[in-house]
Amino acid sequence: MAVLTVAVTLFWRRARSRLEVLRAARPAARTDHPGERARRELSHVLGQRKLFQKAAPGVMHAFIFWGFLVLLPTIVEAMLAAIDRHWTFPYLGHVAWFAFLQDLFATLVVVGVAIAFTIRKIQRPDRFRGSHMEEADRILLAILGIVTTLLLWNASRIALGIAGHPAAAPVADGLSGLFGAGRGTEVAERVLVWSHLLLVLGFLTYLPRSKHLHIITAAPNVYLATNHPRGYLEPLRIDLDSADADVRLGASVATDLSRKQVLDLFSCTECGRCQEVCPAWNTGKALSPKLLIMDLRDQVAKEAPLITAGAAGIVELQPLVPNAVADQVVWDCVTCGACVRECPVDIEHVDTIVDLRRNLVMAESRFPNEAGAMLRGVESSENPWGQSASARTDWTASVEDIRVLQPGDPPPEILFWVGCAGAFDERAQRTTQSIARLLTAAGVDYAILGPRERCTGDPARRMGHEYLFQMLAEANVEILNGAGVTKIVASCAHCFNTLANEYPDYGGAYEVVHHTELLSALVAEGRLRPDPAGGRGSVTYHDACYLGRHNGRYDAPREVLRAAGAAAVEMPRHGERSFCCGAGGARMWMEETEGTRINDTRFAEAEATGAETVATACPYCFVMLDDAAKAKGSAVRVADVATLLAESTLAEPGG
Amino acid sequence: MNVVVCAKLVPTGTPTLGPDHLVVRSGTDAALDPGDEYGLELALQLTEQHGGDVTVVSMGPDEAGQAIQRALAMGASRGVLVSDPSLRGADALVTARVLAAAIGMYPFDLVVAGVESTDGYTGTVPVTVAEILGIASVTAVRRLEPSDAGARIERMTERGYDVYECPLPAVVTVTAGSVEPRFPSLKGIMQAKQKPVDRPSLQDLGSRDLTATQTVTAVTDAPTKAGGEVVQGDEAVGRIVELLAEAKVI
Amino acid sequence: MAGAWVFAEITRDGPHPAAFELLAHARSFDDDPTAIALGQGATEAAAELGAHGAATVYACDDPVFAEHPGRPAAHVLAGLIEAEAPDVVLFAQTYDSRDVAGRLQGSIGSALMGNATSIADPRHARAEIFGGTKIVDVELAGPAPTLILLRPKSIAAEPTGGTARVVPLEADVPEDIRGARIVERHEESASGPRLEDAKVVLAGGRGLGGPDAFAMLDELASVIGGAAVGASRAAVDAGWVPYSYQIGQTGKTVKPDVYLAAGISGALQHVVGMKGAKRIVAINKDADAPLLAMADLGVVGDLFQVLPALTEEIRRRKGS
Ligand SMILES: Cc1cc2nc3c(=O)[nH]c(=O)nc-3n(C[C@H](O)[C@H](O)[C@H](O)COP(=O)(O)OP(=O)(O)OC[C@H]3O[C@@H](n4cnc5c(N)ncnc54)[C@H](O)[C@@H]3O)c2cc1C
Ligand SMILES: Cc1cc2nc3c(=O)[nH]c(=O)nc-3n(C[C@H](O)[C@H](O)[C@H](O)COP(=O)(O)OP(=O)(O)OC[C@H]3O[C@@H](n4cnc5c(N)ncnc54)[C@H](O)[C@@H]3O)c2cc1C
Ligand code: SF4
Ligand code: SF4
Repeated sequence: MAVLTVAVTLFWRRARSRLEVLRAARPAARTDHPGERARRELSHVLGQRKLFQKAAPGVMHAFIFWGFLVLLPTIVEAMLAAIDRHWTFPYLGHVAWFAFLQDLFATLVVVGVAIAFTIRKIQRPDRFRGSHMEEADRILLAILGIVTTLLLWNASRIALGIAGHPAAAPVADGLSGLFGAGRGTEVAERVLVWSHLLLVLGFLTYLPRSKHLHIITAAPNVYLATNHPRGYLEPLRIDLDSADADVRLGASVATDLSRKQVLDLFSCTECGRCQEVCPAWNTGKALSPKLLIMDLRDQVAKEAPLITAGAAGIVELQPLVPNAVADQVVWDCVTCGACVRECPVDIEHVDTIVDLRRNLVMAESRFPNEAGAMLRGVESSENPWGQSASARTDWTASVEDIRVLQPGDPPPEILFWVGCAGAFDERAQRTTQSIARLLTAAGVDYAILGPRERCTGDPARRMGHEYLFQMLAEANVEILNGAGVTKIVASCAHCFNTLANEYPDYGGAYEVVHHTELLSALVAEGRLRPDPAGGRGSVTYHDACYLGRHNGRYDAPREVLRAAGAAAVEMPRHGERSFCCGAGGARMWMEETEGTRINDTRFAEAEATGAETVATACPYCFVMLDDAAKAKGSAVRVADVATLLAESTLAEPGG
Repeated sequence: MNVVVCAKLVPTGTPTLGPDHLVVRSGTDAALDPGDEYGLELALQLTEQHGGDVTVVSMGPDEAGQAIQRALAMGASRGVLVSDPSLRGADALVTARVLAAAIGMYPFDLVVAGVESTDGYTGTVPVTVAEILGIASVTAVRRLEPSDAGARIERMTERGYDVYECPLPAVVTVTAGSVEPRFPSLKGIMQAKQKPVDRPSLQDLGSRDLTATQTVTAVTDAPTKAGGEVVQGDEAVGRIVELLAEAKVI
Repeated sequence: MAGAWVFAEITRDGPHPAAFELLAHARSFDDDPTAIALGQGATEAAAELGAHGAATVYACDDPVFAEHPGRPAAHVLAGLIEAEAPDVVLFAQTYDSRDVAGRLQGSIGSALMGNATSIADPRHARAEIFGGTKIVDVELAGPAPTLILLRPKSIAAEPTGGTARVVPLEADVPEDIRGARIVERHEESASGPRLEDAKVVLAGGRGLGGPDAFAMLDELASVIGGAAVGASRAAVDAGWVPYSYQIGQTGKTVKPDVYLAAGISGALQHVVGMKGAKRIVAINKDADAPLLAMADLGVVGDLFQVLPALTEEIRRRKGS
């Protein structure tokens, strides 16, 4: 009893400091839609869905996880049986199937641990670089100890004839041969049950300070994960007029983090799945999403006593950047969301990274120099390149009959949101022109806003300038609502994401489709009749993060390509696991000097498929991959899906 | 070191002239002259390193308050706006007199201005201010450090730079690109609202003689350049040389 | 006959060439203009000024003017003006002359007009404003003389073959008004001006094909004088020139009087760094290159032919 009390007290004392840190954090409103959250709990936690994204580690983890779920009653039974050898559960203790399950899952845990050691000691994947390897070994050994003592304990009981249904527990039964029936076994049985118990309790006290805390935090963390599409960022409302000087402008110190963000930190298992897919890490940048989370966790843990004692604000917490993570790390991220998708415990790295950026930009004005031009452009000219609003319609010069929506005009059935890149970038203009020609050919009633369109604010927002984004969002929503717009087609994946997922927070609720979706529908309805015989050769499609992973649009672009007569080949990393082009997260406006270029890496992957054409569906991807192709002097063509369709459909595709 | 920075509000797009031949300054988008941001940045760096405050002085319509707000957001601690309907159409001399009078109301060791404004680019106002204040001046400055004699200053020349020793107080004009102007943080923008902006009247300044000596009598459109001329082959070299000559660079 | 004075800026290499142009402007309404030459070599310059139409040259060779630019010259001029009462003083729109004119305005309270391209008489002149899109005619009031700054190279200098009467001046500049003093001079002609300050920027892109071709741009830059060499990111990424050459969205922003691009396609990411140039020349062998469309002068051709020929032609002109 005393042992139990000591262990539980120790556990509680250690766990409480974590809990108090959580309580000190900003509340996170993440309890809406309980049904959806419960469903996610079932699939991600019970079903281990995200773990199975990797086969062997998935099986390994599922064995251990399911094993411990099943063995939980057994552990309770052991505790009581430690005091009274003959105690057992009223019903469970007497049925054969439970004995069978116990035996089976204990064995599976042993198998799981064996797989884990194989992965860690023999395969040694790179994703563990920077993780605490000894700690993991210790934990695995503890698990192994817990189940082997359990198995052996059961075996000794079989040998002593205390346990019923020996036949239902073949492993323990087999092991029982190790024991005689005499006094020695009785002692052994006592020793085993107590070692089992002490191991369990030792584990419990170790838990709160280790990465293994995830066995407690993972379930709530998954429950609190966002219900929005992954491309969505939570707004940080800023009211300059009423704001006092201490308004929160993103995350500066530990206490600026939200409860979900802190729980994220305590949930990380250091599995490195995020690191393995991160384009920044993979191209030699300082950023690893895993290390970022670990470093933040370590600082929060270190400051926990200050946070909980100094709620009165007597102590100065150290800024998270650069103390826990270096500035460069924060700017390396392309917000591609690969890490979030991969993370088995639904950690939301991007939200935290953007929150750190918000503080750097809005409070400290500290960011890579070259990005300043973009912010100035967005601020003064309402587009990232500082072009004049009147030039927004320059691309229409070579396209007939584009309706520019004037104030007071009746709204079109669908508004074509051209986007800044689509309007100003001479390469993206070709896509814009193709889309316009196709829509006209299909007889779609559409119009553009022309000079009244502004940047959606995405670059500023991803850069961390939430206020600039908010002003643009409000201004755009006012124009769109004023014009009576209900449906929008966007050609930029970033505009698409912002309009569809983020503008509702600012009063702009529209049906938003991406141009590939609209074109695919027009083809399906027979309103566009591409000539597949035209043959576009072999084409590999690069999934834009903000279209694919962030918004689940994988099929439409591929359907359009198929209709255009392209022979599709896939890159190794495609669909949900596509590899970023390097432009997201406002990286489009920053120099990439460390390591290799992300766009070069991605283009090499595309080129290796042997495809003649790399198809894109976002102007940023287009510029990035086109630049990489030119730098390499490659003969592979980079073209937007819409351009390829126009070439197969229109007599004069232009552009 | 206390520094006064002259900051002008300029139209952001292409400026236009009204029927009275004066620049249309109200109702158009306008902002702090980007050229003045360099001087401001230099002033902020100096006061951050050596102590002291930055005061921003602007003469212009009420909207010039925006230019001052921007400067305050970047880190200046006080604004001074001289705005009077009679100043509309002010010429370089009037501007210099008003600025000199306003600057004289505050303690300063250094006055910093732009080399030339983006809209008017006369480029003489700062030295005229120096003359009225009776102090030294150095134009086209790219670096300034306090020294025993006052300040050690690097001034851009056509072939490189000259180093000056300059007694203080003095007026300097700062070249574009010499420092990297900061992007004001939101915190800065919020704090700017709490900072004092003085609005001295012309009586407060005791300025007399404020009639402009310059009037525009006629405005015509310059013959539009052919623009978008594309040539090929042998003509090319000749046309490039002509263009260089038209641009007065050879 | 209006009394027209010309402030003949004396540089280390003798009179500034613009001084001769100012004399030509002045002679359009005063047959016998006066030149004021202050600085070491002023007396020597008088002959040349006379040969360009100056009837009288006030000259002073005191080193104070070179050591303390601006203030002493304005002081001496103010004294002379009080004594002689000219109607107008013409200055070249250069940094140094502008400083003298600005100072002078502060002390005598006259009207000052900047950026003039021609002058009709002491009270009427003309200027191009707003980047040369508008021409304004201006009338100047206030006490005489008016101060007019003329843009260099607005008209050509006209030798008259005359001789000037030289009036030596004493530099009576009190110590306390001399102002800032030059203590060191640095010439960087080898490396040319900085990209951001250069009046002419020559930029090379992927079309240059390698680092060696940048030597052609360097040569052209030195022939033009006051030109700087820049590059597109493609050329920087290829390692042909360092990052400090990069012009564009993640490089430098330049606003020269003339921007000449060779072998650059004109990606938006590049264009944002140079669109503020007053005149754009693009040389590209691809007639569809976007930069050709936005250039004031687009040359469709092979840069390996155009650039050397251009260098030769300018050298020839300068030599003659
Ligand atoms: C195209 C154009 C040409 C003109 N030409 C002349 C002219 O030739 N003669 C004339 O008398 N007037 C002229 N004017 C009238 C003009 O309004 C005044 O000259 C003006 O007050 C100062 O000229 P500037 O902006 O060219 O100053 P510059 O001398 O070019 O200004 C240099 C620096 O002085 C400071 N500064 C200038 N004005 C202010 C201000 N209002 N507030 C705070 N700081 C300031 C800034 O730091 C600026 O960067 C012109 C106006 C225009 C639009
Ligand atoms: C994040 C990011 C930031 C960027 N920042 C910048 C930046 O700051 N600055 C920048 O410049 N770019 C930048 N870029 C790159 C930009 O997108 C373009 O790739 C780049 O500007 C192209 O350089 P270029 O014009 O030299 O090369 P290309 O586009 O390959 O053009 C070469 C041109 O040379 C012509 N040519 C070839 N041979 C000859 C010949 N013998 N004679 C005449 N013409 C010839 C060709 O016809 C072609 O038009 C950036 C891109 C990204 C993704
Ligand atoms: S969002 Fe992409 S770039 Fe950023 S940390 Fe995650 S995986 Fe890496
Ligand atoms: S953040 Fe998630 S994916 Fe990354 S190491 Fe931690 S648990 Fe694994």
